Amino acid sequence: MKPALLSLAWKSLANRAVSVTLTVATIALSVALFLGVERVRDSVRDSFNSTISETDLIVGARSGAINLLLYSVFHLGDPTANISWDSYELIDTAPDVSWTVPISLGDSHRGYRVVGTTPGFFEHYKYGRARDLEMREGRAFGDGREAVVGAEVARQLGYGLGNEILLSHGIGEVSFAEHSDHDFRIVGILAPTGTPVDRSVLVSLESIEAIHAGWNTGAAPRAESHGHEDGEHELMPDSVTAVLVGLDSPIRVLSLQRQINTYEGEALSAVLPGVALSQLWRVVGVAERAFFAVSVLVIVVGLCGILTALSAGLNERRREMAVLRAVGARASDVFFLLILEAMTIAFLGALVGIVIATGGFAALSPVLSGRYGFDLPIAPGWTELAVLGGLTVTGALFGLWPAWRALRNALVDGLSIRI
Amino acid sequence: MTSPAVSITSLRHAWPGAEPTLDIERFEVAAGESVFLVGPSGSGKSTLLGLIAGVTPVQSGRIEVLGEPMLAGKPRQRDAIRASRLGVIFQMFNLVPFLNAVENVLLPLQFSPERRQRLEAMDRDGPAEARRLLRELRLDEASLTKKATDLSVGQQQRVAAARALIGGPGLVIADEPTSALDRSARDSFIALLMQECSTRGTALLFVSHDETLAAHFDRKVDLGEINRAGVTA
Repeated sequence: MKPALLSLAWKSLANRAVSVTLTVATIALSVALFLGVERVRDSVRDSFNSTISETDLIVGARSGAINLLLYSVFHLGDPTANISWDSYELIDTAPDVSWTVPISLGDSHRGYRVVGTTPGFFEHYKYGRARDLEMREGRAFGDGREAVVGAEVARQLGYGLGNEILLSHGIGEVSFAEHSDHDFRIVGILAPTGTPVDRSVLVSLESIEAIHAGWNTGAAPRAESHGHEDGEHELMPDSVTAVLVGLDSPIRVLSLQRQINTYEGEALSAVLPGVALSQLWRVVGVAERAFFAVSVLVIVVGLCGILTALSAGLNERRREMAVLRAVGARASDVFFLLILEAMTIAFLGALVGIVIATGGFAALSPVLSGRYGFDLPIAPGWTELAVLGGLTVTGALFGLWPAWRALRNALVDGLSIRI
Repeated sequence: MTSPAVSITSLRHAWPGAEPTLDIERFEVAAGESVFLVGPSGSGKSTLLGLIAGVTPVQSGRIEVLGEPMLAGKPRQRDAIRASRLGVIFQMFNLVPFLNAVENVLLPLQFSPERRQRLEAMDRDGPAEARRLLRELRLDEASLTKKATDLSVGQQQRVAAARALIGGPGLVIADEPTSALDRSARDSFIALLMQECSTRGTALLFVSHDETLAAHFDRKVDLGEINRAGVTA
């Protein structure tokens, strides 16, 4: 008896093509919106949680894990204190430590953070699933006043290879204390990563030290005491802001973390980046859950269209229902006919919505990955399948009310046809 | 021995909150017989047809259709009897508006495996049988695939007759099927319906308030005479 009802439901809907199409379109748009939000949400979460990967520990002055992560990786806020060079060397030479990358923050260029580091940064900083930083143009910085800029810095400021830039002390967009006599030449531009590296200007630790030589008083040095005759290669920093640490064996991570946290020579903190990232996500993820809730509500609003589409014609269809009863339909068949119509509308809406969303992803994905290093998977997956199934079932629930009314009408009317 | 098409004993029916509409001690339609049931409107004709068709549950008394009792507690069984053994023709608006003529005729087959089996036993295929019936009822070829709403009232009634007859039901009940037709259409409709019923041995219970039609039928019954509750409402 089911196939007969299905074809009846289909023909009945086709007969009301305009109102049904509008309802399907409403649901399709809400589904496309939902899938878009979901996909972006997933990608943002993935990209956030792998802002830094393959680094076993981040070490900085003693502070909370989130704080340390914020200033060392996201370049947000300021460090409470620095790490002395001695402590850095101690970590660097500790057993099981495979590599270290020191990071020195404090300067900026037109609002973008300057990161003083070693060439090891390009080798060891990884993001996503162990993806390497890629040089879009040029090369890593060498010993002199050379800078590598992130993708966003280059795009926003219109920089190319060979441009000369000035670094400012402090981190404001407008700085009154420019290291005006120290031009840096851009020798490399990084490909977009979707991480804070995109918004960074990377220079060598030594060159940072050189432009600060003589700044010990906290103000720009007078010309006569600001000599370069020592040579930049011998400039060793007294301190760094943070250190990225990689170990030979991941098993040793926790014991090294404990050793650093309990080190008596200096108050230090070592954090596991993955743990700190997921702690941080718990804070910023609230917005993400709000988006989710809103997009679910939009789907519910879309599904309410089913109520309108089916309830509107119900009185005019009482004759049709009486005819169906007369040719042998059970009262329950009338009920299921309406349920099937609701399910068909919901299914079509979900299907069209998935097509729209997939098309949208295909169109947007190259733009997003080119500009923001943001991977948006295109192919429909389990989410789409779940939405298709879930919406069809929910559509049936939304059909319950009109179906119940049709059933009641059918029982009251019997074979009498109201004209 | 074949069971009568309709057999009613001690039937009483009252709609909630109203005086009894029906009180019939005995009424029978023999197998293959055509009966003209006459009565003014409001005399309980529609209620009686609803009870015989098994759409309305019997409150008191007994109705058997083609030997099968229409039991109050078994709505599914009543629906199944109606689907497989009964044809119903209304006064008007007989058709599902979004289906074409042939599709409307095929509807009972979709709700009744027995009708399909009877066609198969005669080695006939549903759509071909639908077209054959419609042609016998003088529906022109072009109208076969027209939407129900594009057919004239006379054509609609003939499609309804074909639908009632497909798959060989034992009884056709018709509720004022000709009241929306003009005189010539009415006469040809009744002639065609009678002919189809008699060649198949199908009993016909034809309800109308127009007594001039009575001559076409084997027997005329006045509902006012058999219904003791027959108070005009």
